[in-house]
Amino acid sequence: MSEHRPRPRAFRLDDERVAVDDAPTPLAPTATIRSQTAPIPEGGGEPIDEAERAVEAAQRSGVLARWRPKLSTLVWAGFGGLVSLGLGLWMSELIESLFARARSLGALGAVFAALFVTGILGLALREIVALVRQSRIADLHAALARARASDDRVVARALVARLAALYEGRAETARARAEVAEARGAIVDGRDLIDIAERALLRPLDAKAQAEIAAAARRVSLVTAISPRAVLDVIFVVAQIVRLVRRVAELYGGRPGLLGFVKLSRSIGTHIAITGGMAVGDSLLQQIVGHGIASRISARMGEGVLNGLLTARVGLSAMAVCRPAPFAIDKPPGVGEVAPFLFRSGKDR
Amino acid sequence: MSVFTDLAFEASVVARSLADFLSGGGLRLGVTGLSKAGKTVFITALVDNLIAGARLPVLRASAEGRIARAYLEPQPDDAVPRFAYEAHLAALSGADRRWPQSTRRISQLRLTIEFERAASWGAKASHLTLDIVDYPGEWLLDLPLLDKSYAQWSRETIAASAAPARAPLAAPWRAFLAGLDLGATAQEETARTAAELFTTYLRKARDDVYALSTLPPGRFLMPGDLEGSPALTFAPLPLGEDEPIAPRSLAAMMERRYEAYKTYVARPFFRDHFARLDRQIVLVDALRALNSGPAALRDLENALTEVLQAFRAGRASRFASIFRPRIDRILFAATKADHLHHVSHDRLEAILRVLTAKAIARAEGVGADIDVIALSAVRATREAEMRHAGQTLEAIVGVPEAGERLGGQIFDGVAEAAVFPGELPEDPDAAFAGDRLALPEADNDWRFVRFRPPVTARGAPAPHIRLDRALQFLIGDKLA
Repeated sequence: MSEHRPRPRAFRLDDERVAVDDAPTPLAPTATIRSQTAPIPEGGGEPIDEAERAVEAAQRSGVLARWRPKLSTLVWAGFGGLVSLGLGLWMSELIESLFARARSLGALGAVFAALFVTGILGLALREIVALVRQSRIADLHAALARARASDDRVVARALVARLAALYEGRAETARARAEVAEARGAIVDGRDLIDIAERALLRPLDAKAQAEIAAAARRVSLVTAISPRAVLDVIFVVAQIVRLVRRVAELYGGRPGLLGFVKLSRSIGTHIAITGGMAVGDSLLQQIVGHGIASRISARMGEGVLNGLLTARVGLSAMAVCRPAPFAIDKPPGVGEVAPFLFRSGKDR
Repeated sequence: MSVFTDLAFEASVVARSLADFLSGGGLRLGVTGLSKAGKTVFITALVDNLIAGARLPVLRASAEGRIARAYLEPQPDDAVPRFAYEAHLAALSGADRRWPQSTRRISQLRLTIEFERAASWGAKASHLTLDIVDYPGEWLLDLPLLDKSYAQWSRETIAASAAPARAPLAAPWRAFLAGLDLGATAQEETARTAAELFTTYLRKARDDVYALSTLPPGRFLMPGDLEGSPALTFAPLPLGEDEPIAPRSLAAMMERRYEAYKTYVARPFFRDHFARLDRQIVLVDALRALNSGPAALRDLENALTEVLQAFRAGRASRFASIFRPRIDRILFAATKADHLHHVSHDRLEAILRVLTAKAIARAEGVGADIDVIALSAVRATREAEMRHAGQTLEAIVGVPEAGERLGGQIFDGVAEAAVFPGELPEDPDAAFAGDRLALPEADNDWRFVRFRPPVTARGAPAPHIRLDRALQFLIGDKLA
């Protein structure tokens, strides 16, 4: 038996030579005891499933995409720089000529220019914050998936705290956050802790996101069915989808700016492309069937259903990409679950 | 003859399963564990938590608030006493807070959980009936005997008693055997002396100091209501290979009694309570064996492997569940996980994996789900950090039982103490290396002190470690 191993030992807490927590301490305690509230262990990995890998691939292609210089970047950077310079030149000339005309006009012009620049800076700042937040959420998503697979208690505790911090500003999550904090303090294994957090924090958000998706799909299918011009409903569908994606992103905590939205759209596009093949089994078949029944009743109605399905698909992908944790305790919802009304025959609608 | 008994046995098992199915039997949860593994405490804590509606975050149905209520029902078996849940709970949470006494007889309990299903289709309200049996863990040791003849059992038992770890304990009995004439006409007096000496040996080996486990037959340690009956008055004899047993000799009488023991004691116990399980939790008190030494640990491994062979694991199917239930989920739990800091739980689980490696391999081979956890159904300690002599140690704080000793301290069962029980080895096999038994404290790298049950708020279930996880694994899918 090795010598360097600490030997078993015990101290009575009522021993006056032992310092315990905040109780009055003896001058030279033989031992110091500090109570802990701590978490818990254990290995054995659940592999990361295919749906989760698709989500992560999608995130890498969009919201987590690294910036790499390309030829087109040079072109756009040069062009953008010139335009900015031109704008600056035009502005300074404008203000100079305003001053030349009258002092007061020049001052007014300068004030407007200052407002403009401040506004631009503010917008840029907001954009950067949104981007950082977005990529942080995507990082958190991947980290949670890994921690859950490896059932790592230490990592899980830290990540769950980050997840809860994400929703600190929302009053309605107070109870859920308290629940998560309590579970963090108890002896709970890593995977179980993440499940608890997902259930408490994300389930209500999932329900809201699904409601948003359903509402958007309903609106789109209705408007397409009754709109007089094809152009109008194309505009409407695009507007609705943009709104839906923004809403979903906002729900899960990352309100995207302009650039963030572009990145997010790219992720969603990738996700649809990857999962499109996987979904052949269920939803595509349903989609064709749904479309078939509706289009037999009327061509416009069939188009309405199709547009509704498209909207719902985009919404679901947005949900998968924006969610700060992978779907673990629940299956990712399908089109049939968020928008069942699209699959009913025309009569019930 | 043996084929016939086997067939008759199988037929009776099938008949009982069918009767169970037709009368709407519940999920049969087999709480398996040798004596002192904590079966009674586990069952009490399980029932307490469910009935009190405690929050069990890892048990999904509970976390989602789908469990409406749980309550005890009269158990289906009229011939079996009811599990004394209230008495055990009172013992745990009463003024003098003690662990329930070791179980002396079999008892049963039926718990009904009313819950709502999570599925979006079909009826929502549903219920799950859970049938649990509590019994003296010693009796479990009888299960391996079912497949052994008297001669085989005699040889194995006598060979085991010659091992260096056991020889001193078995000395008086072995001396008596040496002076015995096997061919002589059977004398009740001789048989009784042999049985008594043999029983003394078994009892001594079970003491906490030695903590040996492979000690069949179980009724010798915990006779129940059979004390003194001829079925318990036998002992192994040094029989040679293929040596014929003379009629009317001592050996013949012993063999007859051994067979009677199997027929009237071991087999009905198995048939009535273990042949038809759906889920199984195997509780293992590894700490007791760890305290004693590597020989005790290997003995525990041996006992568990033999006992678990008697159970029928496998993938559940509709057909099988009617006629021949199979255990499709087995949870191996190292109990008393609260006796060490949680950072050591991984190592305790690793040791348990080694202990039950054969049983795990066998169950996985036939398609049963397996999980291994460190469990504490009633958590008697809290965790603390101990700084002493320049070292920072992960310790636990609780009230050690009166008479427990560690590091020169003798505890009085009243004062709280911070205990650092030592470090388990990183490599679980290291705990099995060696052939020593009943190690004195100074020679062992660890010493696990027993703690008294915790003080709990009135009416609230005691805290636990991973009880919810165990439940999720065992019955979570039935509450989906």
